[in-house]
Amino acid sequence: MILLSISSLTKSFGGLVAVGGVSFEVTQGDVLGLIGPNGAGKTTVFNLVTGITPPDSGDIFFAQRRLARLKPHKVVELGLARTFQTIRLFPHMSVLENVLSGRHCRMRTGIVASMLSLPGKALEERNAIARAMEELEFVGLADRWRAPAGGLSYGDQRLLEIARALATDPRMVVLDEPAGGMNDQETVELRSLIRRIKKRGITIMLIEHDMGFVMRVCNKLVVLENGLVIARGTPEEIQKDQRVIEAYLGVDD
Amino acid sequence: MTTNQRKILAAIGVVLFFALPELGLGTYWLGVLNQVGIYAVLALSLNIILGHAGMFHMGHAAFFAVGAYATAILNTHYGVPIFATIPVAGFAAGLFALAVAAPIIHLRGDYLLMVTIGIVEIVRIALINDIFGLTGGANGIVGIQRPMLFGLRLTKPWQFFYLIWGFVAVSMFLFRWLEHSRFGRALKFIREDVVAAEGMGINTSRCKLSAFVIGAVWAGFTGTIFATQMRTISPGSFSYWESVVLFMIVILGGRGSQRGVLIGSFLVIGLPELFRGLQSGRMLIFGAALVVMMIFRPQGLFPAPRRHYNLPEPYRDKYL
Repeated sequence: MILLSISSLTKSFGGLVAVGGVSFEVTQGDVLGLIGPNGAGKTTVFNLVTGITPPDSGDIFFAQRRLARLKPHKVVELGLARTFQTIRLFPHMSVLENVLSGRHCRMRTGIVASMLSLPGKALEERNAIARAMEELEFVGLADRWRAPAGGLSYGDQRLLEIARALATDPRMVVLDEPAGGMNDQETVELRSLIRRIKKRGITIMLIEHDMGFVMRVCNKLVVLENGLVIARGTPEEIQKDQRVIEAYLGVDD
Repeated sequence: MTTNQRKILAAIGVVLFFALPELGLGTYWLGVLNQVGIYAVLALSLNIILGHAGMFHMGHAAFFAVGAYATAILNTHYGVPIFATIPVAGFAAGLFALAVAAPIIHLRGDYLLMVTIGIVEIVRIALINDIFGLTGGANGIVGIQRPMLFGLRLTKPWQFFYLIWGFVAVSMFLFRWLEHSRFGRALKFIREDVVAAEGMGINTSRCKLSAFVIGAVWAGFTGTIFATQMRTISPGSFSYWESVVLFMIVILGGRGSQRGVLIGSFLVIGLPELFRGLQSGRMLIFGAALVVMMIFRPQGLFPAPRRHYNLPEPYRDKYL
């Protein structure tokens, strides 16, 4: 089943075409890698899909719902959560509170009920905290639950962003350079984490520069160059693709 | 000092404070404390907007004015009893906040600051110009009644002391509960990083707008108490300067910290009264103290403590 479908998506900033008519699909259960040289438009595609920037034209469908021009919080509510390339945690708040931010959209206690501490509030809070701790255990950060997020190592901050995204009950997560700034050991652990996320039935789309990593964890790749899709297929097919090799290594004149 | 000892000390402090009128505190000082109390509630309500959500709102006196005038007009023109005007004052201020804040809620930092200054000026000028022929122009409204409570008319400063500080206490409980909720947490996420908050599924514009409206509703309630305590209100009481003072209390006390904002109210409103002997020199000292404070302790006198969470089982045993 096709979970995410992107068709003829375009976005320009000033005169610069960042994304010039991109189309591809993500099937339920995929681990899809979006790769390409710097400035190819990968992060822009992520921002368009997650509602951070509205597209100039084109369409995005997620689980039969139109995403284009929805606000980011609506996109999350529909079951599509993300992490950021430049880590965007709430640095002065605790690790636990950061994960609780992901639970917000699944909680229902309103402002008046909060203010008067009506009965349902405490139960909902307790369940949210338990669920947040579950996600922290899943990524291996549970014993750091009290620490301020800004004090974690770079790799742990990336893991915390993943836990926060998972806490939103997503059907799909998009990870923007999850291995960025991680050492070899952490990258190996991240690989197994991504497999465990997949096992939970969550579809994954990721951007990553580490080709060894991408070839190992993804079952499908989409290659962007200058805002256009130049190739798509399995990792084996992509490795042999002449245009991809040229895009990465350049061409002899 | 252990947490328990601190709690006992705080409880003794609160009891002593509420016994002040019985302990023979004079009328003048009761008046000062009442004024501190009014500013404390206003600052606590501004704290939701400025402290928790981090929105630079320097026009809080506008909402205070709407509440005070709603009560004054209803009471003097239509004879509505004071306490019956409280919900109307809150509603009017909240509705006004909704109308003026909705188009500007996405503005950031300094831009929002400028617009909110504009709002408070517009309200003041509108009041001076006697809009709808109801506000009495520059002279304001006189002859507002004193409130009736259980058949007793409140007139004395000590009676207002209990009314005002009772309201402060109730507000502090409600705001604390609000802070410790999904909504209160959302405001802090917004203050830390609005893009990340939106990206994690928080409807940031709605949360910001709600914070504005709650703060305004409370300022409206406080307007009722102020109007009935003063019996006369005029545009001069709701100037830009009042908004600056409230802003200052929150920043000086500690953004997002109830304790800080409460102590800030005593310092900013009460302390100058202690040094009345110095006459206008006291404002100079006060200003210098503020400058020094902001250089050496920019986070405020009593920054908000990090919130403590209780883990449910089975996590409590595992990670404590």
